[in-house]
Amino acid sequence: MTKKVNGTTTKTSAISSAIVTKRLLPAMTDFSMQWLVRLLALFSVVAMAVIFIFVIGRSMPVLKESGIRFWTEATFDQQITNAYNAEAGKPVYEFGMLGLLAGTVFSTLFALVLAIPIGIGAASVLNEYAPQWLKVPSVAIVRLLASIPSIVYGLVGLTVVVPTIEKWFVTVDMQIAFLDQFQMTGRSLLSSAIVLAIMIVPMIVSLSMDAMRSVPDSLREVGCAMGMAPWRITYKIVLPASKSGIIAGIILAIGRGIGEAVAVSMVCGGIGLVPDVKNGVGFILTPILTLASAIINKSEAISVPSIESALFACGAVLLTIGAILSLISRQVFRFIRKKEGLDA
Amino acid sequence: MRNRRVESLLGMSGSWLAMGLILLSCIFIILYVFFEGSGVITRDFLLKEPNPSALSAHEGGILTPMIGTVLLTIIGMLIAFPAALSTALYLVHDAKKGLFTEIVRVAVDILAGVPTVVIALFALALSTSSQFGFLSVTIEATDGSMRSYGRSFLVAGLAMAVMVLPFVIKTAEEAIKSVPYSYYEASIALGATKWFTIRHIVLKTARPGLVTAIVLGMGRIIGDTAIVLIVLGGTLRMTGLQPWWQPNHWLSTLQNTGCTLTSYILYTSPAGEGNSTDVAFGASFVLIVMILVLNGLAELIGQSNRKVVNNG
Repeated sequence: MTKKVNGTTTKTSAISSAIVTKRLLPAMTDFSMQWLVRLLALFSVVAMAVIFIFVIGRSMPVLKESGIRFWTEATFDQQITNAYNAEAGKPVYEFGMLGLLAGTVFSTLFALVLAIPIGIGAASVLNEYAPQWLKVPSVAIVRLLASIPSIVYGLVGLTVVVPTIEKWFVTVDMQIAFLDQFQMTGRSLLSSAIVLAIMIVPMIVSLSMDAMRSVPDSLREVGCAMGMAPWRITYKIVLPASKSGIIAGIILAIGRGIGEAVAVSMVCGGIGLVPDVKNGVGFILTPILTLASAIINKSEAISVPSIESALFACGAVLLTIGAILSLISRQVFRFIRKKEGLDA
Repeated sequence: MRNRRVESLLGMSGSWLAMGLILLSCIFIILYVFFEGSGVITRDFLLKEPNPSALSAHEGGILTPMIGTVLLTIIGMLIAFPAALSTALYLVHDAKKGLFTEIVRVAVDILAGVPTVVIALFALALSTSSQFGFLSVTIEATDGSMRSYGRSFLVAGLAMAVMVLPFVIKTAEEAIKSVPYSYYEASIALGATKWFTIRHIVLKTARPGLVTAIVLGMGRIIGDTAIVLIVLGGTLRMTGLQPWWQPNHWLSTLQNTGCTLTSYILYTSPAGEGNSTDVAFGASFVLIVMILVLNGLAELIGQSNRKVVNNG
C-alpha cells in the first residue's frame, strides 16, 4: 500500500518535474533571455542619449556666456591662458573658437583633396585592372594601413613629415617674415593635412572598392562591346554607377578626419590661428589647432571648471558634426540610389 | 580621338601611381617603425616597469604599458561584447519593423560617428560625478562633499566599450545574418524554442564571425589614444596599492590610473615630455606587432569561416 502510494507520488513528481524541465524551464529561459537581449540592446541607445546630455550639458556655461563670439573670435589659446590665470572668484567663461573651426575645416579639406583622387584611383586599379597576384597582397596592405593606430601615424608624422616640410619649404627668410604672426616650423596645416590624408585613404579605398564591386559586370561588358578603352569604362561607367557608395564612404572619411585628435595634435603646431590666404605659401605653413586636437592639447588644464566647459564645448560641436555626418551618409546612399532608380 | 587616348593614358598612369603611392607609404611606415624600433627591444625592455631615471640602464621598459593595454582590452570587450551581441541578435531575430528598431539603428549609426575624444570627455563627465565614484578614487573635499577623481582603468574600459560598440554590433550583425534563415526555421519547426535555437543553432554557426567581431574590436581598443589620455590619467606606472600585481590589490589597480602602449608612445615622443624617440619607436614596434597578430588572426578565422560556409 505504502509502496503503491510511494509509486504514484514518485510518478506524479516525475511527471511534474518533466513538465518543469521540458516545458516550463525552456519557456522561462526563453522569456527571460528574450527580455535580457532586448534590455542589452538598449545599451547603445542609452549610451548615445547620455553622451549628448552630458557633453552638451557641461558645455552650456561657455556656450551661454560667449554667445555669438563663440563662433567669431579666434583667440582660443589666449583665452585658455586667461581662464587658467583667472582669480577663483571671477572665472572667465568667454571663449571663441573660430580658429579651431578654421583649423578643422582646412585640415580636413586639404586632406580630402589629397586623399580622394589617390583613394579612388587606387580603388579602381585594385578593382578593375590589377591581376590577382597583385590584388590580394595590396588589399591586405590597405587593410593593414587602416588598422595602424593613429598614434603611430602621429609619431611617424612628427619624425618624418614635419622635418621634411621644414627642410623643403621653410626658409629663414620666411621665418623672419612671419615672425610677428607665428613661429614657423614644420608643424603646420600642411603636415596635419598629409598625416590626415594617409589616415583616411584606406577608408576611401576600401569603401570605394566595395561600391565598385557591386557594379554588375554586364555594364562593363557593354562598354567593352562599344569599343571603349579600359580607363573610359572605369571613368564613364563604373564610377558613375558606384557613386552612391563612394560618396557615402567619403562622408564617413570626413567624419574620421574631423574627429581625429591625437595624431593631428602631434603635428599641427598647437596654435589656433586662422590661416590667411594672403600669406601665400605661409598659408599652408600656418600652425593650426583643430577642435579634436584642442581637447587633447589643452586637457592638462581641464581641472579648471571654465576650461573644462570650453573643452566640452569643442566636444559638443564635434559631436553634432559627427552625428549629422553619419546621418547624412546613411541617407545619401539611399537618396542617390533612389534618384537613379537603382532600387525602390 | 587623340584627346581620349591621352586622357586614357593619364587616367591609367595616375591611378597606378596612386596605388603605388599608397602601397609604398604603408610599407615605408611599417619598415621605418621596425627599423627604428627593433634596436631597443631587449628582454629588459619588455619585462621591466618604466622607471624615472636619467641613466638609460635604469629607465626600465614597457611592462606596465603592455599590461595596461591588455587590461583595457579585456575590460572593454567584457562590457561591449554582450551588449553588441544582444543588439545584433535583437536587430536580426527579434525586432519588428517599427519606430524602436529604427531608433536602435540610428543610435548605432550616430555612435559610430562620434569621435573618440568626445566619448572620452563624456566618460570623464560621467565618472567625475559622485554617484560613479566607485569607478575611480574618491576623496573628501574641504567642504565635506565627496569628489571622485574620475580617471581609472574601469572608466577607460567603459569608454572603450562605448567606442567599439557600433563596430562590434555591425560585424556581429553581419555574422548572424550570414547564418541561413532555413537553419533557424528548421530548428523552430522541430519544436525548439527561440532561445534554444539562437543558442545552439544561430550562435554556433555564426561563431567564427563573432570571433572576428571580437578581434576587430580588440584591435580598435589597442590602438586608441584619446580615451587613454583623458580618462586613464597621465601616469606611466600603475598607481594603485603596490605591488599592483598582487591579487588583493587588483581592485585598487583597476580603480587607479595607469598607462597603455599608446599613451607611453605619446609621452616618450617629441610631442610629449619624455623626448626619447627610440623608446617611442620600440613601443610602436610592439604595438604594430600586436595589431599584425590580431589582423592575421582575424584573417585566419575568416578563411576557416568561408570553408565552413562553402562545405555546409
